[in-house]
Amino acid sequence: MGIRILLAEDHKIVRQGLRSLLAKQPDLEIVAEAENGSEAIALATQLGVDLVLMDLTLPDMSGIDATRRIVAELPEVRVLALTMHSDKRFITETLKAGAKGYLVKESATLELVEAIRSVAGGGSYLSRSLQGFDLDGHAKLEPAKPASAPCLISPREREVLQKIAEGKGTKEIAFTFGVSIKTIETQRSQIKKKLNLHSIAELTKYAIREGLVSL
Amino acid sequence: MPYAKGWSLFEDLMKIRVLIVDDHALVREGLRSLLESNPDIEVIAEADSGVAAIAYAGELLPDVVVMDISMPGMNGIDAIREITKDHPALPIIALSMHSERRLVIEALEAGARGYLFKECAFADLARSILTVAGKNIGSGPKMTGIILSDRLTPQFHALHLALSARELQVLRLIAAGESAKEIAFRLELSVKTIESDRHIIMRQLQLHSVAELTRYAIREGLASVN
Repeated sequence: MGIRILLAEDHKIVRQGLRSLLAKQPDLEIVAEAENGSEAIALATQLGVDLVLMDLTLPDMSGIDATRRIVAELPEVRVLALTMHSDKRFITETLKAGAKGYLVKESATLELVEAIRSVAGGGSYLSRSLQGFDLDGHAKLEPAKPASAPCLISPREREVLQKIAEGKGTKEIAFTFGVSIKTIETQRSQIKKKLNLHSIAELTKYAIREGLVSL
Repeated sequence: MPYAKGWSLFEDLMKIRVLIVDDHALVREGLRSLLESNPDIEVIAEADSGVAAIAYAGELLPDVVVMDISMPGMNGIDAIREITKDHPALPIIALSMHSERRLVIEALEAGARGYLFKECAFADLARSILTVAGKNIGSGPKMTGIILSDRLTPQFHALHLALSARELQVLRLIAAGESAKEIAFRLELSVKTIESDRHIIMRQLQLHSVAELTRYAIREGLASVN
């Protein structure tokens, strides 16, 4: 039986291109496409896929947060991150979220296919161009810098931060997460306090720098 | 059948020869795979940088160039400018994940004949290629996400150009993280005036939150992301 893949990528033409490339592999089957993080979670849950090919910068909910949710709720689903980011912080965060592979978009199709087979088969995969990169060493060398430490805030707080930076109102965010407005207000002030930021504009810029929202 | 071969050679000669430029191999290969499914299009080369694109455009004389805008080293806009300088008749379509007005205008001013967002469907790109190569007969279905330079409308120019000097200053200060009260104090105006300015700015820019104003200001170079 082939590997059933969910493709989560927000740019339609890139998605279509990937589908067209993978269609040439008889053992790989793209069973669904998601254009944002929450759609990826919903589809992964409904369809029982083997692997999620996950872009990291997605609107609505970032790929890292979607990965964390999918790994927590569907332990049998393997996540392979596919991204244009090659900085260490992104890699570390993604692997910490539970992704089993990390591939940069500079890679060739052959490498993508190899990575999919490896991750779906229970292994892990790190882009060839990133190999030799010492994740643990990195973690020891650079202790959390206040300006770039997403682990300062909890996963839920990161999701709230992304919504704020997308321009969603408190009421809308509360509705999305099914909690009270007060809860969101509390979380917002927690986020501000933890990140030592004092305005929506500063939170937005932080979220842009962290790749949670795009310009 | 010998004539069949001859016929297919003739067909090959009629194909639109496309050069794809993108720094991400997977995106390039994906585009190639999609374009090759179109019988009127032939991908003659892929370039992974602006510099390589300029060289290939000169050597291979493609009919159409599909150019990514954000690439390390020389960006797509500079490459478009260079290629247009040497080959003014060669149509270039910018394909970008960025929808900032500033970039669209820069790309078109540099000489791009079209600008497509990566949110577009492949069919839009194929149609755009046929159009700029002069092979698109009939109007066809409406294209989404494409702006061809001759269809550039005034509304596509930066909306903030219509703001007054003070409104622009208020926008910058909002994006810098200042509250209405702080801005009022700084500009020696009432808080009410600043709030009304903010309201006008949001209406003018068609935005509804401080977060969106901040992202707009960064996009348009009115504020820094740091």
